[in-house]
Amino acid sequence: MDLLNALFQSAPWPTLRAGLHVAFMLAALYLLKQVFSLRAATALRHLAKPRSGFGVAFAGLVLLFAAMLAYQATWQLSGTSRPDFVAFMQLHDRRQFNPAHWIERGRLFDHTGELLAESRDFARGGETAVRRHYPYGPVFAHAVGYAHPRYGTAGMEAAANVSLNGGRPDSLAEWGELGRRLITRDKRPRGRDLTLTLDAALQQAAYRALGERAGAVVMLRPDDGAIRVLASTPAFDPNRLQAELFSGRDPRSRLLNRATHGLYPPGSVFKVVLAAQALDAGFSSRLDCPADGYTTSPRYRKIRDHEYYSARGAGRDWQGHGRIGLDRALIKSSNVFFAKLGVGYGHDAFGRTADRFLFNRTIALTASLSKAQVMRTGRIPRIAASDRYGLAQAAIGQGAVLATPAQMALIAAAVANGGVAPQPRLLVAEPPRPLARLMNADTASRLASMMRRVVSEGTGRVIETPGLAIAGKTGTAENPRGDAHSWFIGFAPAGRPTLAVAVLVEHAGYGSAAAAPIARDLLLLARERGLL
Amino acid sequence: MSRSAASEGFAGHWQQRAPERRLLFWALVTITLGYTMLLGAGPKDGYLIRSIDLLPLIGLAAGYGAAHLLLVASGFRGDQVLLPATAFLCGAGVLAQYRMGVFIGEPLSMTGYAVMPAGALLMAAGAAMAKNGRYRLLARWPWGWALLSVALIGVLLVTGQRFRGGVYAVGFVTPTELLKLTVVLFAAAYIDLNAKALANWRGPIPFPRLRPLWPLIGFFVLLLGLLLLQRDLGMVVILAMALLSMLAAGTRRAGYLVYGGFAAAGAAYLGYRFFDHVQSRVETWLEPFRDPTGSSWQILQGFTGMYSGGLWGEGFSQARPRYTPIAESDFIYAVIAEELGFAGGVLLAAFFLLLLARLLLIAARARSAFGMLAASGVAAVFATQIFLNLGGVTKFVPLTGLTLPFVSHGGSSLLTAFASLGLALAISDGEPARKKKKRSASKRGTAATATARGAARR
Repeated sequence: MDLLNALFQSAPWPTLRAGLHVAFMLAALYLLKQVFSLRAATALRHLAKPRSGFGVAFAGLVLLFAAMLAYQATWQLSGTSRPDFVAFMQLHDRRQFNPAHWIERGRLFDHTGELLAESRDFARGGETAVRRHYPYGPVFAHAVGYAHPRYGTAGMEAAANVSLNGGRPDSLAEWGELGRRLITRDKRPRGRDLTLTLDAALQQAAYRALGERAGAVVMLRPDDGAIRVLASTPAFDPNRLQAELFSGRDPRSRLLNRATHGLYPPGSVFKVVLAAQALDAGFSSRLDCPADGYTTSPRYRKIRDHEYYSARGAGRDWQGHGRIGLDRALIKSSNVFFAKLGVGYGHDAFGRTADRFLFNRTIALTASLSKAQVMRTGRIPRIAASDRYGLAQAAIGQGAVLATPAQMALIAAAVANGGVAPQPRLLVAEPPRPLARLMNADTASRLASMMRRVVSEGTGRVIETPGLAIAGKTGTAENPRGDAHSWFIGFAPAGRPTLAVAVLVEHAGYGSAAAAPIARDLLLLARERGLL
Repeated sequence: MSRSAASEGFAGHWQQRAPERRLLFWALVTITLGYTMLLGAGPKDGYLIRSIDLLPLIGLAAGYGAAHLLLVASGFRGDQVLLPATAFLCGAGVLAQYRMGVFIGEPLSMTGYAVMPAGALLMAAGAAMAKNGRYRLLARWPWGWALLSVALIGVLLVTGQRFRGGVYAVGFVTPTELLKLTVVLFAAAYIDLNAKALANWRGPIPFPRLRPLWPLIGFFVLLLGLLLLQRDLGMVVILAMALLSMLAAGTRRAGYLVYGGFAAAGAAYLGYRFFDHVQSRVETWLEPFRDPTGSSWQILQGFTGMYSGGLWGEGFSQARPRYTPIAESDFIYAVIAEELGFAGGVLLAAFFLLLLARLLLIAARARSAFGMLAASGVAAVFATQIFLNLGGVTKFVPLTGLTLPFVSHGGSSLLTAFASLGLALAISDGEPARKKKKRSASKRGTAATATARGAARR
């Protein structure tokens, strides 16, 4: 016994033990081979000739056991293709040698190859473990998300969980790689790297521009839907997740991705939608827009233009826009005009427009992954036919209408892309494809030139930049919780648009004051980086 | 008794059973290799091994050696693979159970050390006693087996403890485990007597005549009711599979399996509707991640161990199978698949298939119809139990909580498994030669009558 104990504690024992392991398996196989070679001697010839049917029963059993072992292999050997299972092991398994703790999740890159997320070894109480590292910290908190053993996964880390963990092998080479790892007992499974369409420099600029304010920036290419910026503030640092973030009582809602899931009254940027509805219907006349405003019933407060309020505030008198056409109304962002326009076309036409512009949906940003990262579009409930004032409010993007920044960016992209909204994409590997036609091509081109004039001579003229033809629409959305939200949607260059953008800054007042300058700065930076 | 003069006497028998000895030797060598690897884990964890730690291995080797000698001494002519195959399976069980701490730490428990050697001896003794056609005495009193079966459940219902709606045996003995043998014997005897009537199907859509079936159906429904009282659904499935397989084998009508399949589907649906614990098992099976730290904890921990083991495993002593709750009984397969990897799992499955192949061969070659039926029944019981256990642990089918024959830690289930194999071994010995020397005339008379009866029925 002492001898055995000494042997087991001696230096060569680990090697010996591995040898014993191999010997055990070989001996068991040899035993099976002996059974086979002794089959003649053990065939029970002294009994009757074998009855038929029992061979079939045995073949059935073999098939059943083989099927069971094959299923077992999908857990035991290619368990990385089960994201729930990997998450369970990473959270609940105490075996240090479990490969699940050692998966080198694939890295995430932006479209220029800038590193956005990687796995790193770190020491934990004398042992090493693997942890996810995000070089940009909170900048990509929502878009890239996080993968944490306790808090789970979010954002791209969640959507691409299977691929990042290694995924289901789908080519011969990948099967070969899985086989090599299993046979050589390579305990460091390596996931697949993914390249995102995002641009780290632009994203960082957007994040910094929003600063301490709550808001969101979405920027994408109108022609192929590649998303360059998907920023949301306030954010959190995915390198240092804290429990309070997940308590559900965070007053600043830092977990909320405002870009894809934040619902805001769109205010005047929604006039682009109404203008498209009217142009599609062949609208070409003029409407009278008195300074006194417009209402559907004397019982309701009049809808007036912002010039009315600013004139009154300065103690001046304002004559109103008079009879103006659609282009003038859009450039001046006339509430009276669009309220009248919306009520004139009626509830049914408005409902159809809401459908055509994809309200009340969710849209996958990563359609090729098993679990999609999604954006939601705005919400427009059915407005009762008797509620004409509600329709008037909705027509100027107030009242019942809510929109997400991502959807407004998609609408700007559709105007820039001849009326067709592209499928928004986060993965470079996914082929571009159109999502839906939101308006006629002719409407889109007329709307585009109107939006160009909004910046050159209208409400957006503060951001007019020599040499960069920005087209856009400002928005100042009243809301019950405080100062108006500042919106800007647009694209550039107007003649040959290559980037569309939507900016929202919560409670920051006029669209031209907060949101539009952010959009301009980003477009300038994009031009500097050769992305425009 | 023996076929030729060359194999007369101990030396002849010794010579004749050489294949069994050779296979048994290699099985024990394999297990010893594993056991050495296992013992090596002790000092690493700060546990110095003592002489007593060798006892499980020595007990196993001694038990199987004695069983082999017993078969040789009695001039047993039958199967030579079952004994080594079960030796390997029991050895794998000893290895896994040692890992789970069944043998360590507690005061010397006889159940831990003695059950396997005793079982091996019981199997050999049973085979030696019932060989040479004597097993057919068991066919004499079909209804005696039926009564015994009902009585066994009765005993459990009276003495057992209620726990969460089920009835469990107190301590070591679970009398209902014996049902796997008694019900097979009853059905084999009954079907043997009524084979012709049961095989006589009529109607445009062929359907069995119900009159000869009623006793079987009545008996099974009674058992079903009693077993449902104690919530032993795994046993219900095993017995149903055994009955249907024996009916199909005895009448050579596969239609019994078809109609039985319909009945099973209906019964499964009713079970799902009316039993909470069936529902929760099925839900755990379909959606294991709905309650990962609750109802799915055991199966997910089992998978976690298997995933850590990978293809080759870390060998005994490296892995941490104790993280899987109560793995030494139902989940022993997860332990082996963790320590020896997927390869070890395949190996174990191969040995189980070998066991089943031998049982089916015995059934296919049995000289008497009763022997064929009994061997089929034993094979069906083993096949169902093995499949439900392995399938349950690998989530291929819902978990039923059955033990894995020979490998799981257990008392009654293990002894019943050995006894069933003893019966199969006895059947494989064959019948006494027709022309006999004038020895034990009375016994021969009985056997000859039985043979004549069997022949008349065929």
